[in-house]
Amino acid sequence: MKGTRFLLIACLAALLLVAACTTTTSKATYDVGILYTKGTGPMPTLLATNQIDGYIAWQPFVEVAPVANIGKVISYSGNLPPDDRWKNHPCCVLTSRTDFMSSNPVFVDDMGVATILGTQYLNAHEAEAADITADWLAGKGNFTYGNITVSSVDILERSFPTVKFVNEPSEQWMAGQLEFVYALRELGTINGKLRNTTDIETKALLFDTGPYNQAMAMINTSSITVPPVMPNPIGVGYLLSDHHASLFVAVKKWQYFNDTYGIALKPEDPTATRPDLVDLMVKGKKVATLKLVPADAGPQLMQLAATNAIQMAYVGNPPAISAIDQGTPLKILMALNNEGSGVVVSEASPATDWNSFVLWAQQRAAAGNPIKMAAPGKGSIQDVMLRYSLEESGLSVKEVQA
Amino acid sequence: MRRPLGIILPLLILVVWEIAARLIGNQFILPRLETVVPVLLSPATDILGTGSLLHNAAVSLIRVGAGFLVAIAIAVPLGIGMGWSPRLDAFADTTVQLFRPIPPLAWGPLAIAWFSVGLNSMVFIIFLGAFFPILLNTIDGVRGVKKTWVEVARTLGASEGQVLAKVVLPGAAPTIWTGLRVGFGIAWMCVIAAEWLPGTTSGLGYLTLYAYNFGQMHFIIAGMITIGIIGIAFDLLFRSVEDRWFAWRGSER
Repeated sequence: MKGTRFLLIACLAALLLVAACTTTTSKATYDVGILYTKGTGPMPTLLATNQIDGYIAWQPFVEVAPVANIGKVISYSGNLPPDDRWKNHPCCVLTSRTDFMSSNPVFVDDMGVATILGTQYLNAHEAEAADITADWLAGKGNFTYGNITVSSVDILERSFPTVKFVNEPSEQWMAGQLEFVYALRELGTINGKLRNTTDIETKALLFDTGPYNQAMAMINTSSITVPPVMPNPIGVGYLLSDHHASLFVAVKKWQYFNDTYGIALKPEDPTATRPDLVDLMVKGKKVATLKLVPADAGPQLMQLAATNAIQMAYVGNPPAISAIDQGTPLKILMALNNEGSGVVVSEASPATDWNSFVLWAQQRAAAGNPIKMAAPGKGSIQDVMLRYSLEESGLSVKEVQA
Repeated sequence: MRRPLGIILPLLILVVWEIAARLIGNQFILPRLETVVPVLLSPATDILGTGSLLHNAAVSLIRVGAGFLVAIAIAVPLGIGMGWSPRLDAFADTTVQLFRPIPPLAWGPLAIAWFSVGLNSMVFIIFLGAFFPILLNTIDGVRGVKKTWVEVARTLGASEGQVLAKVVLPGAAPTIWTGLRVGFGIAWMCVIAAEWLPGTTSGLGYLTLYAYNFGQMHFIIAGMITIGIIGIAFDLLFRSVEDRWFAWRGSER
């Protein structure tokens, strides 16, 4: 009895030893480590405390690093290698649960109208839209980084030109989405409905451009259809990023849209900087209450959509693709923005652009101390692009822990 | 004498903090006092569009109050039952012990699926945090009531209901109150964590997490200090009630 116990403990110890050895030996088998931080929140702190060498994030968190003097932007996502590969890459999308769409088609079309009008307005009034977004995200407050204090309006004005606000679900845009599907398959994060589909099948599962076409028709003929009054509040998720500025503009400029187009997302508390209850007004009449649900990252929103806690969501495309893959009854209706992410490295890094970054990464890998980059989540747009670009530049990538 | 003595350590911490912050010179590791103090001194000023410290503290307190009351409403009667009836205790104890070690926040995903985003799921998580300390203390309190008291009451002809209402409940009250005090402290910790759930737009927990997104450490620390101050204020409140009503504890025979 005593002998067996001793043998067991010895085996366990041996196992642990082997495990420990394999972890240490595998350390040098990659060039760049990627750390997932579940959103952008921890990135500036990790960078400022030398726990990572850089990060890839969505705006405005790319601009935080240069403003806080803790890092520099070496590339915005549209310029990542290979040449033109990521130019106009799709990013965030408007989604809806399919059961909700089929029972409330006009409401979903009208949400499309409000979103498209918001996009049109912000493209025509970029400075004002940056101002509105700074108000939504930070109450136009100041950010303080040690001795540096900077206005959130300035940060948003820096980040806005790096985001392309578009809504059309064009063929080219869909092709870009398919690229993400391939990338997610390679990463192994797609293993459900979309695992073996052809491109045509994938598109049929992912997209429903009906609401976009309906919305455009309504805008072009200047006649907005009034949906039936909805008794219960509708949950609409979004991310706290300037990528979703069309929603912020639609809400904050509701009076303008109401007067000009007869459709508006009117905040119930007009003094709130970040309203959470807004009314969909069509032709001066309230037809529904929307509960706006912010989240730190797309997967959280998709979890809410899967449990029907929200019915529509402004969200990044990979979380939407993954949710559909896993069987959430969801469709992507239209684009919200293209591009809008960026790669940041620490202030101490010798890198100034992508090429010098690759050189630096090679040197660090050769010295047995590979650089560590943070990405918001496995399979996120940022993760996919960073991995792809690194591998394209001849650098191998591995997920690492802090 | 106790109060002034208790002030010395926090003051010392402040001094060490400021010296350390100056030496480190990295606001992400430790922001300097002068960035945090102004935030605390103007608690009615809006922070990053999330509302003021006062506003968010009030929001968090309302949530914690709701969850705490639900916990009392369920845990105290159940605890009295389990403490009084060995059969009910045998029936429920295994389940209680099974659920007790699960951190309330682990229920987050289920809470959102069951109670939808917002107040209800947060109240559920706060309820879970407060529930177990109140329950266990209530059971303990009821069991700890001196047998002689109960027997005397019975000998004098008290009915079962009278024994429970006139002897057991008052006798268990101090321990139940301790349970409430501990439960409130845990509920207060839980509200901060519950406000990290998606869909939250206010509260001290949300405020600290939101400030984190922009690396605004001075707001985070100001939020943490506010959380601590409110926690200590409520603990003092519970203690002063304890001193006034239950001072007899320890002097009984």
